Amino acid sequence: MKRFTYIYLAFLMLTTGCKKFLHVQPQQQVDASVAITDAVSAEAAVNGLYNRLGSDGYYGSNFISLSYLMGGDIQWTGSQSAPAQIAARALTADNSNVASAWTAIYRTILSANYIIDIVPGLTDPLLTDAKRNQYQGEAYFIRALAYFDLARAWGGVQLITRPTYSKSDQEGIRRSSVAETYAQVLGDLDKAEALLPVTVNRNKATQKTVWALKARFYLYQRDWAKAESYASKIIDDAANYKLLKPYSAFFANNVTATAESVFELGYSTSFKNGHYNWWLPPALGGRREWAPNGNLVTLLNDPAIGGNRNALIAQTAPPGNLWYGKLYYRNPTGTDPAYLIRVAELYLIRSEARVQQSKLTEALQDLNAVRERAGLSPATATTTGDVLLDIENERRLEFAFEGDRWFNLVRTGSVKNVLNITDPNKFVFPIPVSEIIADKYLDPNLGY
Amino acid sequence: MNRNRQTKTILIITTFILAGITAYAQQPIPIKGTIRETGTQKPVPGVSVKSKHSRVGTSTDENGQFSLTVPSNDILLITAIGHAAVEQPVNGKQFIEITLAAASNSLGEVVVVGYGAQSKKSLVSAVATIKADEIKNKPVAAFDQQLQGRVAGVQVSANTGIPGDGIFFRIRGTTSINAGNDPLYVVDGVFINNQSLQKITTQGQSNNPLADINPADIESISVLKDASATAIYGARAANGVILITTKRGQYNTQAKVNANAYYGSSWAPQLWDLVTGPEHATIINEAWANDGKSFATRPFRPKSEGGRGLPEEQPTYDRLHDIFRTGNLQNYDLSVSGGNDKTRYYIGGGYNKQQAILRTNDFQRASFKFNLDQQINSHVRIGSSNLLSRSYRTNARVGDGPQGGILQAALHTPTYLPKFNDDGTYAKWAGFDNLDVLIKYTDMHSTSIRYIGNIYGEADLVRNLKFRTSWSIDYNDYNEYEYWNSLTNRGSASKGLASSSVSKNAIWITEQTLSYKAKLGQHGLGLLAGNSVQGTVETVTSAQGTNFPNDSYKQIASAATTTSSSSSAGNRQVSVFGRLEYNYAGKYFAEFNVRGDASSKFGTSKQWGYFPSVGLAWLASEEPFIRNINAISTLKLRANIGITGNQNGIGNFASRNLWNGGANYLDNPGTVPQQLGNTGLSWETTRQTNLGIDLGLLQDRINIEFNLYKKYTTDLLLSLPLPVSTGFSSVSSNAGEISNKGFELGITTTNISNRRFTWTTSFNIAHNVNKIEKLDIPVDASYSAERMLQGYSMHSFYVYKQLYVDPQTGDAVYEDYVKDGKITADDRQIVGNAQPRYFGGINNSLRYQGFDFSIFFNFQFGNKIFNNNRFFHESGGTRDDRRAINKNQLNRWQKPGDITEVPRITTLGTNYTLSPVSRFIEDGSFIRLSTLTLGYTLPQKLTTRIHTNSIRIYASGSNWWLWKKYQGPDPEINVTSDPNVQGYDLGTPPQPRTIQFGINLSL
Repeated sequence: MKRFTYIYLAFLMLTTGCKKFLHVQPQQQVDASVAITDAVSAEAAVNGLYNRLGSDGYYGSNFISLSYLMGGDIQWTGSQSAPAQIAARALTADNSNVASAWTAIYRTILSANYIIDIVPGLTDPLLTDAKRNQYQGEAYFIRALAYFDLARAWGGVQLITRPTYSKSDQEGIRRSSVAETYAQVLGDLDKAEALLPVTVNRNKATQKTVWALKARFYLYQRDWAKAESYASKIIDDAANYKLLKPYSAFFANNVTATAESVFELGYSTSFKNGHYNWWLPPALGGRREWAPNGNLVTLLNDPAIGGNRNALIAQTAPPGNLWYGKLYYRNPTGTDPAYLIRVAELYLIRSEARVQQSKLTEALQDLNAVRERAGLSPATATTTGDVLLDIENERRLEFAFEGDRWFNLVRTGSVKNVLNITDPNKFVFPIPVSEIIADKYLDPNLGY
Repeated sequence: MNRNRQTKTILIITTFILAGITAYAQQPIPIKGTIRETGTQKPVPGVSVKSKHSRVGTSTDENGQFSLTVPSNDILLITAIGHAAVEQPVNGKQFIEITLAAASNSLGEVVVVGYGAQSKKSLVSAVATIKADEIKNKPVAAFDQQLQGRVAGVQVSANTGIPGDGIFFRIRGTTSINAGNDPLYVVDGVFINNQSLQKITTQGQSNNPLADINPADIESISVLKDASATAIYGARAANGVILITTKRGQYNTQAKVNANAYYGSSWAPQLWDLVTGPEHATIINEAWANDGKSFATRPFRPKSEGGRGLPEEQPTYDRLHDIFRTGNLQNYDLSVSGGNDKTRYYIGGGYNKQQAILRTNDFQRASFKFNLDQQINSHVRIGSSNLLSRSYRTNARVGDGPQGGILQAALHTPTYLPKFNDDGTYAKWAGFDNLDVLIKYTDMHSTSIRYIGNIYGEADLVRNLKFRTSWSIDYNDYNEYEYWNSLTNRGSASKGLASSSVSKNAIWITEQTLSYKAKLGQHGLGLLAGNSVQGTVETVTSAQGTNFPNDSYKQIASAATTTSSSSSAGNRQVSVFGRLEYNYAGKYFAEFNVRGDASSKFGTSKQWGYFPSVGLAWLASEEPFIRNINAISTLKLRANIGITGNQNGIGNFASRNLWNGGANYLDNPGTVPQQLGNTGLSWETTRQTNLGIDLGLLQDRINIEFNLYKKYTTDLLLSLPLPVSTGFSSVSSNAGEISNKGFELGITTTNISNRRFTWTTSFNIAHNVNKIEKLDIPVDASYSAERMLQGYSMHSFYVYKQLYVDPQTGDAVYEDYVKDGKITADDRQIVGNAQPRYFGGINNSLRYQGFDFSIFFNFQFGNKIFNNNRFFHESGGTRDDRRAINKNQLNRWQKPGDITEVPRITTLGTNYTLSPVSRFIEDGSFIRLSTLTLGYTLPQKLTTRIHTNSIRIYASGSNWWLWKKYQGPDPEINVTSDPNVQGYDLGTPPQPRTIQFGINLSL
C-alpha cells in the first residue's frame, strides 16, 4: 500500500503546480498593456508609426499605385486581376488592392491613436517635454495625413480617434462627411504644428512638414491664399529646400533625403520599400509588373515636354525593347525612398494658387522654376485656363511615378475630360465590400 | 494492449497457483505448429503463442510456424493484433494446425484504442484498424497517404505529385475554419507534431512531417473516428485520432531477419495541352481585330513592318517535357527482431529515395528504429520505443507565384517565345524565370532530423491493478537552405540570394495511468485513470544573405550583406482522464470516457475544458434467438455520443492584446500593435453521435460494418473579421458552427477460400455532408475563389456565374444574381464545392498457390475543382505575350451561331476580365487504379535449401488507370497547404504513374 501512497503523492504534485505551469509568457511579442510605458518604448512606437505609414499597403507601394494606375499613364503587365481592374478603371468593391490600402491606412491611424492616447500620461523622467511634444506632434501629423488620404480617395470616412482595446471599442461609428473628415485633418495639423519643433528633418515630421502638408490641404480646399502662404513658407526657406538640377538629382545614384525633399520615407534592408522589384525588368531582377505605357513614354521622351525627366525611364535590350520605370530601382536592398512631399510640388501648388488669385506672372514664375529644372523652356501660356492646364500637365510628368495624377485630376475635375469618367460616384474608390460586411454601421460608396 | 498483457499475466499467475495446488503435473512435450489465416490460408507471422499454464511463449516466424515445449494437457493462448484470439488445447498432439479469423472486421480482433487495447467484440465505438502490410505497396513517402481509400470515412487527397509534400486528410469531414482539421497522431503513446516546420516557401504545398516516419516500422494503424473512441483524447480529438503502433519483438523467439527492397520508376501519364506558336499568334491577332484595332498594327505582322512576325512563322517550344522526367524510386528495409523470456527487441533500418516526376524535387529518408521491452520481475516491466530519421528533400518552387516557379515557368511561358536571346543569353519572359536556368540551378533543400521516443515503466500493484508511467519526446530539427544564383530572377539583382532557416520543435509529455480490470461472475469491469502534462517549444533561427562574390559561393558566410532573425514560442497543457468499461455476460457493453484539458493558449478564466462520452453496444448474436439463425454469425449494434475539442492552429497567445517588434524605421527599432486579444477565448467543441452495426454472415465470410454519424461543432475558433477601422482585420473568437453528417459502409468478403486459391474483396464508401450552420460574417479563403458562407459547405466556390456565351455576339453572359441590372461584386454566388459527395475504395486480393495478386481502386464523386491554370491559359488575348494559351481557348466563339462556352476573344468588356468566374469550375470526380501488385513466393523446399525462411518477389504499379472528367492532367490537386482552400489548381504537378520490382526476404 506504501507504493500506492507514493503514486498518489506524485499525482498530487503534478496537478497542483498546474496554474503556474500554464502561465506561459510570450517571448516574441509583449502585452499591449506594457507596450508604451517610458521614453524608450514611446520612441519605438513612433518608429513603428512611420513604419506603418511606409508599409507596403500604404506609401510603400499600394496606395500610391492606386493613384498612378487609375491615372492612365501606367500599365499593369502582371497577371493578377485586382491591379488590372484598377488600370482599366473598372473597379469593383471586392478589389483587393483597394482593400489593402484601406487596411494599411487604418492600421497607421491605430498606431497614431495609441501614441496620442498614452504618451501624454507617461511619467518617465527621461521623457523630456520636448520629446513628449514631438512624439505627439508626429502622431497628430501622420493621423492628419492618413485622414487626408482617406478623404481624397474614398470621401468622408469613419473618424476613429481612440485606440482599440477591445473589439467593440469602435462599434457604432458612422461615416462623417467629407467636410468633417477634412476638419479632422485640419484639427490634427494644427495640433501637430503647435507641438513640433521648427527644424529640418526630411524623414520625420517637423513644423515645416506640417506647413507643406497644409499647403496641399488648402489647395484641395481651394483656399488659394492659405495654400500660397504655406507653400511660400517652404519655398522661401531656400537654404534648406530647393529644386535640384537635373531632375534625376533627387533620386539617381542612390541619394536620399536631398534638399528637394520636404518629406520622404526612408527605407533600409530591414524595412524595404514595397516598390523595389515591381518596376525593374526581369533582366535586372525585377518583375516589371508596373510599367509606363506608350503615351507616357512618348511624353517623357519628347525633349520639349519631358525634358531631362526622361531619366525616369529606360528600355531593355533587344529583342524585348521594353520600357520600364527607374524611380524605384534599388534592388535588392529596397532602399528607394517614398517621396511624399517634394519642393517641386510646393512650387506647383503656389503656381496654381496664384493663378486662381489672378497673379499670372508670379504663377508662371513658379511653373517655370519647375520647367527650367527639367531643362525646358518657359511656358508660353497666357490665359488662366492655359496656365492651369500647363500646371496639370507639368504635374503629370513631374510626379509620373509618385501617385499624384489621379487625385489631381479628381481634385480639379479634369478627370471628366482626361479619363472620360463622368459618373461622380466613380471619383472615389469603393469602400471595400469586406468592410461593409464586417461593419453594419459603414455605408458603401454609391455606384459600386 | 497493456490491459491485454495484464490479463495474460493474471492468468499466468493464477495458473501458477493452481499448478501448485494441483498434485499432478503432466510432462512437458515439444510441439510444433502452423498458424494460418482463415480463408486466405496465408501463414500468419508474428503471432504470439503462449502456454496458458506455464510462462513460456513464442511467436510464429515468417511462415507462420512455431515450436514450443509445454505440458501435454496445456492450452495455447494465441493472440495477434488484427486477429481473433484463440485458445487451443494441446491434447497431447505434437503438431497443431491453427487458423485465425482473418477478417479485419472480425469481432474477436484485438484493437489498439486510446490508452489501451480492446477486443473488437467489446468496442462500443467506430475504430478501424489497418495493418501496415496491407497498404505498403503505394510508393509514397508517408503512411497517411497510403491510407487513401482504405478506411471508410477517411478522405485523403494527395494535393500534388511530389513525394513528401503535404496532403489533405480528413476523418468524417471538416469541423473547423481556423483551428485545424488534421487528426491527432499518436505514435506508441507519443503525441507527435504533424504541422510543417517549413519556413522557406516552396510556394505550393509545405512538407509533410509524417514522412519522417518509415512506414515499414509500423505494425498497425488505428483510426478512431467517433466520440466514444476519441473523447479520452479530449481537447485535441475533434478531428479523430490516429494511433500508430510500431513493430516490436516477440518473447522467446529466435532472432529473425527481414529484408525488403524495391526499385522502380515513375513518370507523368498526362500533361497539359498548350497551343502551338502559330495558334498563339492567331489568338492574339484575333483579339486585336475584335478590339477594333487596326489590322496594320496587329502584333503578329511581318517583322519588316515592325511586328513579331506572321503567325505561321512562329516557332513552338515544348517546355513541359523539359521539366517532367522519369523518376527513380528505391526502398530498402532491414530489421532484426526477437527475444528471450525476459527481453524482446526490434531493430530496424530503412532507406527510401523517390525522385519526383517534376525535376529538382527529390525525397530521401534514412531511418532507424529500436524498440525494447524488459521484464524486471514478475510484476514490473520497463521498455522504450525510439525512432530516429533523417529526411532530406531537394525542392523547387511549385504552385503559385512566378518568381522561381519551375512549373509556372514551363506551364505559363507562351510557347512561341524562345529560350535564348539573339545574343545567346537566357531569355526571360513575362516575369518568369528562364526554365533552363531553373532546371540547372534551382538549389533548395531541407533536412529534417526527427526523434520520436519514449520510455515507460509498468507495475502490477495489487491484484488487477496496474500502474504505468510514460515519458516521451518528439523532437524535430528542420534545417532549410536555398540559394538563388545570379541568373535567376530572385538572385540576379542581389548577386545571389541565400536563405537559411533552422526550426526546432520539441514536444515533451509525461503520462501516468492506473488501470484496473476484473471479472465478477457475469460482470466485466474496467477502469482507467490518468493524467498527462505536455509542453511544446518551437524556436526558429533564420538568416538571409545577398551580394555574393560569385555563384560558386553559396553559403551566407560569403555574402556581403546579411540579415538574420530568431524567434521562440511555446505552450503547455495539463490533462486528467478516465474511463469506465462495463459488460454483462459478454453481450451488453457500456463505456464512459472523460478528459479534462487545460491549455496555456486560452484566457485564464477559460483554460479548462471537459470532454465526456458514453457508448453502449449489444452483441445480439450472442443471444440464443439470433444464434439460431445460421446465416448470421455476428450481429452487433452500437450507439454512442460524446464531446471532443479542438485547439490546433490557434496562436499560442491568441487570447491577449499584443504588440510586436520589427517595425523599424531608419534602422531604429519600432513597435506596432499586432493582435487584438480575446480573454474569453476557449475550445472549439464538437458533439458527435454515432450509430453502428456490425454484421457477419456465413461464418463471417461476409462482414459488414455500417456507421451513421452526426457531428456538430460549436464555438468555432475563428479569426473573425473585424472592421479594419479598428486597426485590426480580425480577432480570434469562438463564433460559428459547422455540422457534418454522413454514413460509412465497409464490406469485406471472402469469395473463395481453399488451400490453393483464395479471393477476398473489401469495399468501403462514405458520404459526408458538411455545412456551415452559423457564420455571422462570410470569410474569404486565401484564394478568394473560395468563401466560407453560412448555409453552404466549406470549400465552396464563390464566383461570378457564367450562364452561357451569347451565340449572336459571342459575349459571356453572367448571372445578375442580385438583379440590379449590372454585374457587380454582389453578383458573386456559390457554385459548387470541393468536397466529394462519395468517396472510398475497393480492393481485391487473390492468392493461388505461391502467387498473390491484388488490385486496388480508390474513387471520389461530386467534388468540384477551380482550374486556375485555365484562368491564365484562357484569357482571350488579355495576357498577350505574358501567359501561355491552352488548346481549349481554340474553342472560342468566332461567328454568330457558334455554340460554345468560351467567349469571343477580346481584351474589352467582361469576357475575360471578370474574375473568378464559374467557367473554370470543373467536375473533380475520379476513379483511380491506385495500386496493382503481383507477387510470387518461392516454394518452401527451394527456400529451405538456400537457408532462408521465405522469399517473395513482386512487381507493383500505381496509378495505371484514371477515369476523370477534369481537363487538367490530374484531379487530385491543391495549390496551397492552407486548410481552407481545397480543389484549387494552380501550377500543381500531377500524380506519377509508377512501377516497382521488389523482393521480401526472411531469414
